[in-house]
Formats: sequence, C-alpha cells, structure tokens
Amino acid sequence: MRPTALDRLRDTAVPWLLPVAILLGWQAAVSAGLVSNRFMPAPLDVVRAGWEAGRTGELWTNLWVSTLRALSGFAVGGGIGFALGLANGLSRLSEQLTDTSVQMVRNVPHLSLIPLVILWFGIGEEAKLFLVALGVFFPIYANTLHGIRSVDPALVEMGRVYGMSRTELFTKVVLPGALPSIFVGLRYALGIMWLTLIVAETISASSGLGYMAMQAREFMLVDVVVLAILIYAALGKLADALTRQLERACLAWNPAYRSA
Amino acid sequence: MLLDALRREAPTDLVPETRVADAPPAPAPRPTDATGRGIAVTARDLRKSFDGHAVIEGLDLYLPAGGFTAVVGRSGCGKSTLLRLILGLETPTGGRIVLEGPQAGPRRSEPPKRIMFQEPRLLPWARVVDNVAVGLSGHGSRAERRERALAALAEVGLADKAGQWPATLSGGQRQRVALARALVSRPGLLALDEPLGALDALTRIGMQDLIERIWLSQGFTALLVTHDVAEAVALADRILVVEAGRIALDLRVDVPRPRRRGDPDLARLEGRILDHLLGAQPTL
Repeated sequence: MRPTALDRLRDTAVPWLLPVAILLGWQAAVSAGLVSNRFMPAPLDVVRAGWEAGRTGELWTNLWVSTLRALSGFAVGGGIGFALGLANGLSRLSEQLTDTSVQMVRNVPHLSLIPLVILWFGIGEEAKLFLVALGVFFPIYANTLHGIRSVDPALVEMGRVYGMSRTELFTKVVLPGALPSIFVGLRYALGIMWLTLIVAETISASSGLGYMAMQAREFMLVDVVVLAILIYAALGKLADALTRQLERACLAWNPAYRSA
Repeated sequence: MLLDALRREAPTDLVPETRVADAPPAPAPRPTDATGRGIAVTARDLRKSFDGHAVIEGLDLYLPAGGFTAVVGRSGCGKSTLLRLILGLETPTGGRIVLEGPQAGPRRSEPPKRIMFQEPRLLPWARVVDNVAVGLSGHGSRAERRERALAALAEVGLADKAGQWPATLSGGQRQRVALARALVSRPGLLALDEPLGALDALTRIGMQDLIERIWLSQGFTALLVTHDVAEAVALADRILVVEAGRIALDLRVDVPRPRRRGDPDLARLEGRILDHLLGAQPTL
C-alpha cells in the first residue's frame, strides 16, 4: 500500500506532538500563575527575549562566535583523532606505541582540566579550542580504530587475492568498511563539542552563547537564560540532522540506513 | 561447436579408469583449449602443518593446463588447505608448487589466478558492476574496466543488475556476481572453494551448468573443492579424493558433456567415491 498524503503528514507531525504539548502546558502554567515567572519565564517571554536579542544583533554575534569556536575545535580534535585512529588501526607499531597512553588520558574527564587550561591560556580563544579539541578527539579516535578493526577480514583477503594495491585496499575496502563506526563517533563527538564549548564559555569567556547566558544570570534575565538553553537544544538537533543526512548519503549501500 | 568437438574427442569407453595416486597420472584429455591460457599446476612433496599439526603430508599432484579437477574429501581432510596452498594464500611448510602459464607472450600478459570463495565476499558498498571491476584491479582505464565488467556480468546473465547494491540480490545472484568478478580478468587458473555450498539445490544446478559452460568456452584450469560428490562427478573430468593430507584416490571421469543429471555412469562413479569416503572412516 502506498503511503497517502495523510500518512506522510502524520509521520512528520508525530515527533513534534510532545514538544508542542510541553510548550503549551508550560505557557498555560505560567499564565495561570502556577509557576512564578521569576523562576521560569513563559515561552512567549522567551520568544520576546529572542526577538530583542536578535534585533540588537547580540544574539547573532554570540551565536557566530560560538559556532566558529565549536567548528575549529572540532576540526583540530577530530582531525587528530581520525588520523591517530587510522594509524593505530593500520599499524601495529603505532598502536603499541600510543594506545596505552591514549587510554590513560581518556579516563581523565576533560572538563577537569579547565583550571589548568585557564592558567595556561587565560580566557582567550586557545582555551576553548583546546578543550573542544580534547573532548572531540576521543570518540572520533576510538570509533575510527574500532571501525578499522572490525572490517571483515574475508573482504581484505579477497582484495589481496584480487591484486588490489595497498592504497586501493584502503580506499575500497578498509575505509568504507570502517565508515559506519566512524559516523557513530562523529555523532558522539558533535554532542561533546557543544557540551564542552558551553561549559567552557560559561566559566571563562567574554563572548559566545555561554557568556550570554552567564551575563543574563547576573541581571536576573531568566528569559535570556532559557533562550540560551533552547538554542543549545536546537544546535544539537541541527548537528544531528546534518550527520544523519551525511550518513544516508555515504551509507546508502547499507539497508539499515536507507530511507527510514 | 565447442561441445561437438568435445563429444567427438570423448572416448567411447565410459567405464571410469582408476589409479591410486602417488605416481602423477597422465594428463586428462583437455577440452578444446581455444584460448590456450590455462595454467598447469605441479606440486611436489607438499607439506603444510598448523601449530605442529600436519594437514597436508607429502602430497604430489599435477594438474594439466585447461583441465577441470575436483577435490573431494571429508571435512578437515585438508582439501581447502590444498587449494589455498596452490593459490598462494598459505605458505607451504615443505615441498613446492610450480605454476606454469602459457609459454608464448610477454611476462606482463601472464593470466592471473583467481579464487571463488564459499561466500560471495562482495563489497557491500560498491555497486554490482564495481564489484566485478575489482577483478581488474590495476588493469586498464576506469572506462575500460567498467566495459569489461559489464561484459562479464552479461556472461553470467546479470547485465540488468549492474547498478544495484549487492544487498538487493539473492544468494545465487551474489555468487554469480562473484563468478563474474573471478572471470573478468580472464584467469588461467580458477579455484572454486565450495562456492555453491550455501545455495539451494535448484540454484546450485543452474550455477554448475554456468560454470561448466564458461569453463568450456574459456579454457582455464579449474580446481573445484567440494564436499558434494555429485557436484564433483557432474563437473570434473578428474576427481581427487583427499584423505588425511594425501591423495587417496585419483579417478578419471570420461563421461561426455553435456552430462545428463542421473546418468547411470555418473551415479556409479558417485557411489564408488562415497563408498570409499564412508569406508575410510573407521567408526561413525
């Protein structure tokens, strides 16, 4: 049976029912005076705060600064993690040399380094970049390594027997085989990227979304604080949606990723 | 035409001739080797052990170029190891293997050796045609590889599946893609490691006919490892029974092609081999 227009509409609408219901209930609770708007502003107040911050341009500047920090940290940490994951997956020597050290450092919560990082870099851009890069490094590293390890050895043997060169073996067998796992790492890393950045900005920054939220707290602007939190949620969702698109394009061969 | 020539060549005496191995047997009558690119295989005192456990123990073997030889035996008898040794996938513990390609031609054009595994081993992330082109790794331009891959697909009757993902094919179709990948480089030796074991009975018969037809037209040396005696008898012109790392029985199958399933001569031969295999086991 072909899905009708109604079915499609229902499929798009259902995931949004719960968030919309929560918003409506929230607005109703605040309007009815059940919740003091000193602690929890009504959704409409948040929208107003957003409109105001957008009008003055403050919101966009902070959003831009945060995005730039997040992406550059991600590029540095993700790049190193990916490269080291590949190296350790392909070379036994490289793995013996570095894996133990990486596993040790991995178990240190990277946010516990904030005091040290502030001592090293102050509250400049380097501090944020360092923390984001460190946070993003581990999931990318671990999942790249795992992906390469779990490539079907039968396919690698086939590639060898059929005369593939080392480069071909890597680009046609090993890397595509590791890709589903690498994507898992990517999605984890994107979550950690925002988390780290917001914490770092909340503690030590003079611009960015986290800074905006902390400033608002100083002046008891609850609506701006909630606005910042909602923007984090939206950014997280956006990053996740982009990864999904990328996954669907790159892993079209895998029935598990097709359509759905 | 090719088949006619074969039929004329086939001896009238249909009783299979038996010899106990050891002394290398005279080359089996070759099918009309039109292209003459079969690789002849010689193994001398071949030994292979894993962790001190001997799997192949002093095996001598000669496979003439262009012949179709089947190796049967109980599981664990070393037949797959023998095939992997000949293909160079394992290094022998002792003895040696010599592969001789056709004499003429420059070294570069030496025909490759190919293997078809029990599982198709297709790259799930490559389209069917690109999977076949894997068989041409390092040969020619991209367009050339694609063209030859399409031709090989047509040969196994899957031209219309070229743009599909392997995941959308049935088990038999996947194995046909694997066959096209093995054949696209025009190999001189094709080793088949129980390639039809996982297929249903009807699909298997179709695949056997396909393999036989392509072997007849291309003239490569075929080496089939199987536990299915009926399959060996239907396809091969020589059957080797391997037991405990040695060749225990070396039989010629002089039944003309195309062979009819249920042919009494084939059935008799199959019975003999089964008797031998079952009799060789002290207790079950």
